Amino acid sequence: MQREERRSGQGRRGFLKLAGLGAVVGTVAAATGTKPAQALAAEGDRGAGYRLTEHVKKAYALARF
Amino acid sequence: MAEGRPGTVRGGMVEDALADRRLDEEDHTRARVYGLLARYLAAPPDADLLQLTRGLGESGTPFGRALAELAARAAEASVESAREEYHELFIGLGRGELLPYASYYLTGFLYERPLAELRDDLRTLGIARVEQNKEPEDHIATLCEIMAGLIEGRYGDGTLDLQRRFFARHLEPWAGRFFTDLERAKAARLYAPLGSVGRLFVDIERAAFAMAD
Repeated sequence: MQREERRSGQGRRGFLKLAGLGAVVGTVAAATGTKPAQALAAEGDRGAGYRLTEHVKKAYALARF
Repeated sequence: MAEGRPGTVRGGMVEDALADRRLDEEDHTRARVYGLLARYLAAPPDADLLQLTRGLGESGTPFGRALAELAARAAEASVESAREEYHELFIGLGRGELLPYASYYLTGFLYERPLAELRDDLRTLGIARVEQNKEPEDHIATLCEIMAGLIEGRYGDGTLDLQRRFFARHLEPWAGRFFTDLERAKAARLYAPLGSVGRLFVDIERAAFAMAD
């Protein structure tokens, strides 16, 4: 059972590696780490209010009511 | 930086979240690719993001070549040109050229059942939307950021099965079509190869998830 799992794991990991998801994006790793618990967290931003208004207007224009 | 916008992925190193969890190199890369997509799609790139993009890619695979093309376009782009392009693609006057929302791609309208289903899953995962963020959560940037968090174990139990289920439910049905549209969008220059990267990555993810753990 353990051997099967290892083989399968290598199959998926091997596939990912062959597809180009190995060390080629090492630079990405260095600079696009995400801060924990930040998804969807909104912080103050000078430009955000204007853009959010546009998004909301657009959303209402297109939503079906 | 990315505040009040979908995804709101920030640059910086993941530290504590991974302290007691070692990721395979490939999963680490997957998380970073989702992070890269999220950053570009949540907001126009800042100078730092353009600069790091210029170093990406290689020639050995279609995915690597798409990253290399993105790098080349990033070398040509400026923060200003990228901001204008982002605005035309996603903001516009009333709407941008593209509407990167699951509800829109799956039903033709915003705020539809795909969003409701996503909200159910986010509640289960304990991911809350901060009040100031008015974007519906089914924005492609937010979904990519969540995938990065699932891979890294910042959300959920970090298992591949949870990633697979989230991908199948909230990305696979539509993200490939969105990235293809982005590749072909009239206003896309820097974002065209980002569309290629996203399309190829979704294909890779779908195929990899179909393989046993």
